[in-house]
Amino acid sequence: MEQFLHELWIARWAIAQGLVVTIEVSFAAIILGTALGTLAGVGLSYGPWPIRWPIRMAVDAIRGIPVLVLILAAYYLLTFAGINLTAFESGLVSLTIFCAAHMGEIIRGALQSIPAGQVDAGRAIGLTFPKILVYVLLPQAMRQIVPVWINTGAEMVKTSTLLSVIGTGELLFRTQEIVGRNFMTLEFYGLCGVLYFLVNYAIEYAGKFAARRFALQ
Amino acid sequence: MDYSFQFRVIEANIDKFVGGLALGLGLALASILVGTLIGIFCAFATTAKSKVPARLVNIYVSAFRNTPLLVIILFAYFALPQIGLRFGKNESFILSLAIYAGAYLTEVFRAGLAGVPKGVVDAGRAIGLTGFQVALYVVFPIMLRNALPALGTTFISLFKDTSLAAVIAVPELTYQARKLNTETFRVAEAWSTAAALYLATCLVIAAGLRRLERLFPKF
Amino acid sequence: MSLLAIRGLIKHFGANEILKGVDLDVDKGEVVSIIGSSGSGKTTLLRCVNLLEEFDGGEITLDGTSIGYVNRNGVRRRLGERELARQRAMTGMVFQSFNLFPHLTALGNVTLGLLKVKHMPRQEARDHALSWLKRVGLADRADHLPSQLSGGQQQRVAIARALAMDPKLVLLDEITSALDPELVGEVLSTIKALAEEGTTMLIVTHEMRFARDVSKRVVFMDGGKIAEAGPPAELFGNPKTQRLRDFLGRASGHI
Repeated sequence: MEQFLHELWIARWAIAQGLVVTIEVSFAAIILGTALGTLAGVGLSYGPWPIRWPIRMAVDAIRGIPVLVLILAAYYLLTFAGINLTAFESGLVSLTIFCAAHMGEIIRGALQSIPAGQVDAGRAIGLTFPKILVYVLLPQAMRQIVPVWINTGAEMVKTSTLLSVIGTGELLFRTQEIVGRNFMTLEFYGLCGVLYFLVNYAIEYAGKFAARRFALQ
Repeated sequence: MDYSFQFRVIEANIDKFVGGLALGLGLALASILVGTLIGIFCAFATTAKSKVPARLVNIYVSAFRNTPLLVIILFAYFALPQIGLRFGKNESFILSLAIYAGAYLTEVFRAGLAGVPKGVVDAGRAIGLTGFQVALYVVFPIMLRNALPALGTTFISLFKDTSLAAVIAVPELTYQARKLNTETFRVAEAWSTAAALYLATCLVIAAGLRRLERLFPKF
Repeated sequence: MSLLAIRGLIKHFGANEILKGVDLDVDKGEVVSIIGSSGSGKTTLLRCVNLLEEFDGGEITLDGTSIGYVNRNGVRRRLGERELARQRAMTGMVFQSFNLFPHLTALGNVTLGLLKVKHMPRQEARDHALSWLKRVGLADRADHLPSQLSGGQQQRVAIARALAMDPKLVLLDEITSALDPELVGEVLSTIKALAEEGTTMLIVTHEMRFARDVSKRVVFMDGGKIAEAGPPAELFGNPKTQRLRDFLGRASGHI
């Protein structure tokens, strides 16, 4: 036990840094991914077929391949094409694309579940469609998906662990570095698991709170 | 940039890719079988009279749904040997994925269980079936049918998760793609083939599941 | 000796006393209807008789055997699951919401008990079940799933399912309440035919005309006890208690 605490003390900054990077990349991915996903969702729900079909195919393709493949492929392809991104940046790009595909489907579902009467009501007071989208439809859709969105945030945190494979310095990567040095796999992988659990549990908890606060009924 | 896509590279290595794909499917199948057993057991456990089993199941579900799969895989393969539990790569991976899947499947089967109309249990008891017989002949089949769609999507998810086995050097599809990439630098061929194979397999499985669902009409 | 003898039946649900001491006898071949407002304990009474509910006091005797509980060294104990299941097989119940097993065909619904409780050989069970489906007029629907049957048809399958088990007593719990009006008739005529053949039945119903038509005796329950009982002509024609008069007054459209 003392040895673990001793090693833990030595490793404290590495672990802290790892946590920070994990939270940074997850947070950035979900924000950017949601923005992109909203565009995709709107395009899928209301776009004419030249817009809808490519988006549909892209979303289905991204969701049909494992995230790890997306991450590795992006990393190697970008490097090969001469675009030199850091591991963090490359990972963020992959996570964002993955998140966008996921959110696009969710937002599409939410938009399509809004009764058609809402659009009619907007038109009746003289709003143009873009305004109806921004002031009537999207607000409703967004409130509807708050619990799912929080859940997706937790998914992003879990998925960020895959970035360790391309060398991004998030928590799992740091843990692997530490274990590579002191061989205390049980203690440090265990600690790593507990830390991720705590982060996600906190997100789940925040989600329940947010769901109650933002619920439409 | 001077790069021409060479199909012959894919051709020459297709057996490795398909072998990796088959391994991935096998891992997914084994995991969902074990995970389903865990899920059904846990779902029924929560119906016990005492609150203790339900609480334990909730802890299990919460723990494994909030922990990243990759951490679980690495823990099982690298940390467990330190307390004497040493498994081969494949077994270790299946164990990790099955326990992870079990947490999600518990919720799937719980929902399936909740969808069993209450009166039907009374009817079973009224004709003289014991509690166990009602569970076996009445509740279980209905729960399974209710859970079928979610079981299907979980299987597809698990299949995609088998890509993580590459991290502990299990030679499935992602591992093969990465190997080809680092050995030959044929980036586009390697990754497009892997992506195409994964995508095609997911689509085929999804279509198969839709067919299966139509065979068993929903009540 | 009566087939069914209920003495001093008491049942609590938490703080509420639903059954406050019910005494009732039903003879073999007799059809007894129970009427009363909701909350009077009618359904609870039925569910105690077929041991779907536990009861807190009193005794129920079916064909000479005291069911549900046993007195061991002066302590009253609920019987074990296996023994309870055996006793439940001696009564049949038809429910308001049919409760057919949705994953089994009409034939499957009727044979399940025959195969798993009575351990009949497969072919014998099939033949027996088909003969009952024929009696309720649904032999041609034997391979249909409940979702493919109308409400009235489902209820008739439920009746066949209960009767194929050859129970000593059949309990019917508001079996037409969940049916569309035009489907009620087919179910009631099935029950009437069974009554004429001498099936012992205890029926909870709001169909006053039907109760009058088919029962030998009608029992009025109020506030967890039997307030009045008698032959239908007497009960409906000359109600003695005020509560019954009020109840019938409210239900007057049905007589």
